[in-house]
Amino acid sequence: MDVDFSPLIDNWRFFASGFGVTIALSVISAITSILAGLVIALLRLYGPRWLKPLLVFYVDTMRSIPVLVVLVWIYFAFPILAGVTFPPFWAALVGLTLHIAAYAAEIIRAGIESIRPGQTRAGLALGMSRAQILRKIVLPQATIRMLPAFGSVLTMAIKDTAIATVIAVPELMHRAETVAGQSYRPVEVFTAVMVLYFLLLFPVTRVVDRLYQRLAHLGRS
Amino acid sequence: MNLDWNVVWTNRQVLMEGVGLTIGLTVATMALAVPGGILLALMRLSSNKLLSTASLWFVEFFRNLPLILVIYWAFYVMPIAFDVQFSALTTALVALVLNVSAYNAETFRAGINSIRKGQMEAALAMGMSRRQAMFKVVIPQAARRILPVIASTWISLFKDTSLVSVIAVGELAYTSMQIRAQTFRVLEMLTAMAALYWLMGYPQAKLVDWIHKKYGVKE
Repeated sequence: MDVDFSPLIDNWRFFASGFGVTIALSVISAITSILAGLVIALLRLYGPRWLKPLLVFYVDTMRSIPVLVVLVWIYFAFPILAGVTFPPFWAALVGLTLHIAAYAAEIIRAGIESIRPGQTRAGLALGMSRAQILRKIVLPQATIRMLPAFGSVLTMAIKDTAIATVIAVPELMHRAETVAGQSYRPVEVFTAVMVLYFLLLFPVTRVVDRLYQRLAHLGRS
Repeated sequence: MNLDWNVVWTNRQVLMEGVGLTIGLTVATMALAVPGGILLALMRLSSNKLLSTASLWFVEFFRNLPLILVIYWAFYVMPIAFDVQFSALTTALVALVLNVSAYNAETFRAGINSIRKGQMEAALAMGMSRRQAMFKVVIPQAARRILPVIASTWISLFKDTSLVSVIAVGELAYTSMQIRAQTFRVLEMLTAMAALYWLMGYPQAKLVDWIHKKYGVKE
């Protein structure tokens, strides 16, 4: 077997921009998912009663269908229904956010519920409003407990961006497919991209593991 | 916009075959990944430095890669690098097993570590061999504790089987997208695909919740 890495070297700019798209899409979708998750969790905990079954249904639905299905549905089927088309990047961002936000919402809800009710009662006894209690007592403590889980959301987002290749988002995985197809060098291209993904993900999971160890005691109350 | 939902009904047979393959892949992967995970966990816990490092690297490697990339790699690289020729279905199974075994290994290791040391020592003091103590005392207790995590892994595996559609394995996602390409009934087929996944996944997700409630370890 002869090994030829020249397609990688010749196309390094092409790969670098794909890597950039992967990172941008992962970071943005992790942020939008956490924000959306926060809204969903707060609505589920404090929102109107009629909204709760709908949100539970949404979260359970996202837990039961593959992210690939969500992505292709948003990209190919939704435009027919709505009469508007998204560019692939935006479709991927919407799809990934819809999917990951469900998990983020569960993390945030568990974090908020883990703060003992005595703390809320103490806040009420001091004359604070519900919003003040949430902002000044519950969320600051819950956030520390949730930090490591937010790290997991980021690794989940990075891995899921690779699936966005099926709707032709020009990220790293898609670039790898393109170059592997054109150069007939799938062995070198996919192996190199595998190393790239590992180098991207390994430090992130390491930091997340560290966070779990470092911050666990801070979350106690 | 004119919709023709008949396309779903006329293709029901092919779709059901896809559903069957999705379920079959999930079951087969788990059936192989549970022993795989136990093996990797025992390797990791063994006193042999070489075995434990090998297991550590295997697990870290496959946990830190997007599954879709592992599938592509298994499809394009493995046949050339290792000079083996598998069918697409076997390739998919290999990729899924590699991925899920890595996750299972961590689960089993955590489970075994969560059983207090005294149990192993007591078993040894009673004259059991290490192997007997492991298989008769530690693992049965650990098994109950890790059940909720395995249930969660099961449901993500069930969803992840959709990714093998990229190497043309005719499971539900691939089948639906093939029918979509042949009939141009995009909205109908993609919605039917989502609905079929939902119909199978939703009860499983609820079952996982129930298992968590019943067997979850409370701190």
